[in-house]
Amino acid sequence: MIKAIFYKEWIKMRYFYPLSALLLTGFTLYALLRIQRVITFRGVAHLWEVLLEKEVVLIDTLQYLPMLLGILLALTQFVPEMSQKRLKLTLHLPFPERRMILLMEGIGAGALTLLLLLQGAILWGYLATVLPPELTARILLTSLPWALAGLTLYLLTAWICLEPTWRRRIVNILIAAAIGRLFFLSDLPEAYNGMIPWLVLLLAGSLFFPLLSTWRFKQGCQD
Amino acid sequence: MREPVIECRNLTHYYGDRLIYKNLSFEIPRGRILGLLGKNGTGKTTTINILNGYLQPRSGECLIFGEDIRRMRPETRARIALLIEGHVQYAFMTIEQIERFYARFYPTWDRDAYYGLMEKLQVAPRQRISRMSCGQRSQVALGLILAQNAELLILDDFSMGLDPGYRRLFVEYLRDYARSEEKTVFLTSHIIQDMEKLVDDCIIMDYGRILIQMPVRDLLGRFRRYTFTTADGAIIPESKEIYNPGVINGRGELYSFDSPESIRGWLDRTGIPHGDLWSETLNLEDAFIGLTGKY
Repeated sequence: MIKAIFYKEWIKMRYFYPLSALLLTGFTLYALLRIQRVITFRGVAHLWEVLLEKEVVLIDTLQYLPMLLGILLALTQFVPEMSQKRLKLTLHLPFPERRMILLMEGIGAGALTLLLLLQGAILWGYLATVLPPELTARILLTSLPWALAGLTLYLLTAWICLEPTWRRRIVNILIAAAIGRLFFLSDLPEAYNGMIPWLVLLLAGSLFFPLLSTWRFKQGCQD
Repeated sequence: MREPVIECRNLTHYYGDRLIYKNLSFEIPRGRILGLLGKNGTGKTTTINILNGYLQPRSGECLIFGEDIRRMRPETRARIALLIEGHVQYAFMTIEQIERFYARFYPTWDRDAYYGLMEKLQVAPRQRISRMSCGQRSQVALGLILAQNAELLILDDFSMGLDPGYRRLFVEYLRDYARSEEKTVFLTSHIIQDMEKLVDDCIIMDYGRILIQMPVRDLLGRFRRYTFTTADGAIIPESKEIYNPGVINGRGELYSFDSPESIRGWLDRTGIPHGDLWSETLNLEDAFIGLTGKY
């Protein structure tokens, strides 16, 4: 049964997922190309100097990309479930309901994590060749909250999609926007280092939000 | 009587302040095909939603196979096939993909039954369901229901979107299948002629209550339309035994389960002038209109 659930989720994501992998890779390579251009024209020493003296990480173009992909992935997965209330079909399957929703979320979050790991690997693979480990770690740590924002917003978008009423959905959107803002309060490098565990906790908590929408769906809440 | 597969007790439900029904109770015994009939807005889909656990009634409870529907185990859900109003299915899949998906969930999945019905569709196996016509999508949904080989089938407006030929084919197929395999079927349909050929028992709902629950054979055998000549402007009072009386152009009409003698006696007692009293048995659609009225 788990295989079948994977199968259904894959059918929903099968066009979007390779496209988002291309998009993420493309943007990441573009960000790295900009760094390489600095190295080519001004030398690697200048790059180190800029990174150390100015509060920049030079990959800011990637800041909102994981969040955007997280939201789009959740829409790809959960809008078809709510269109014509197909969630009724899903919840009628002989599989525990909460496990079903968690598994669907897990599949999407896992797929998104793979993409973000791919991005991390590309970044690390290049940066480690031109920068010392401290500066590489600084850039990767700065981008970590962006990745966590992507995963959290994925789960919160699932929560919004599964919500059966528009009135509550609008409230959920406002709450999700406020939560999303928490991940982008500062542009300074490594500003979030001390907050990473709290952001992870927020991400873990968001995992259960879609269960609340499912419960409301089963209560028959409607506009 | 056989043990009930569905038991609903004292269901009461409101949408906001609007009462849908109060203290609705009914049972469906194993092996019977029961049709739920009612005008729009009488609560047919509400009842189906409550039965499937997608709506919490204000009060009352429903049991299916003896289990409270709100806490039903997955194994029990596997014994119930569900057709949602509008023949909703995973339209982003093809007919092959959807069969492969569902087959994993049901141990007694009957692939041949599904593909037997799909062969009648003029669609490519890789055509997405969303790109099919409304009728073709309905047939896919019905094929999946039959392939599940469940003990209980709950079909909400099963005939919607089907052309007359396929509707007839499906009604005959479902009737033979349910009888030979002792399936219990609970269904609604807007096309009452289909129900007449299919159902053993019927529940006819009016706003807020059940009007009758009885075998269709009893209903069609006992329920009659009476017509007679009467005075223009005569008023025929409604009573417990008299349904939807009316007078148009000096012609009186009423419906009742009572015998012609009993109706004649009642007309005499109430002082309604009457001549040429004529009674006739009805088909299910006319009986439904007789019980619920034309408006």
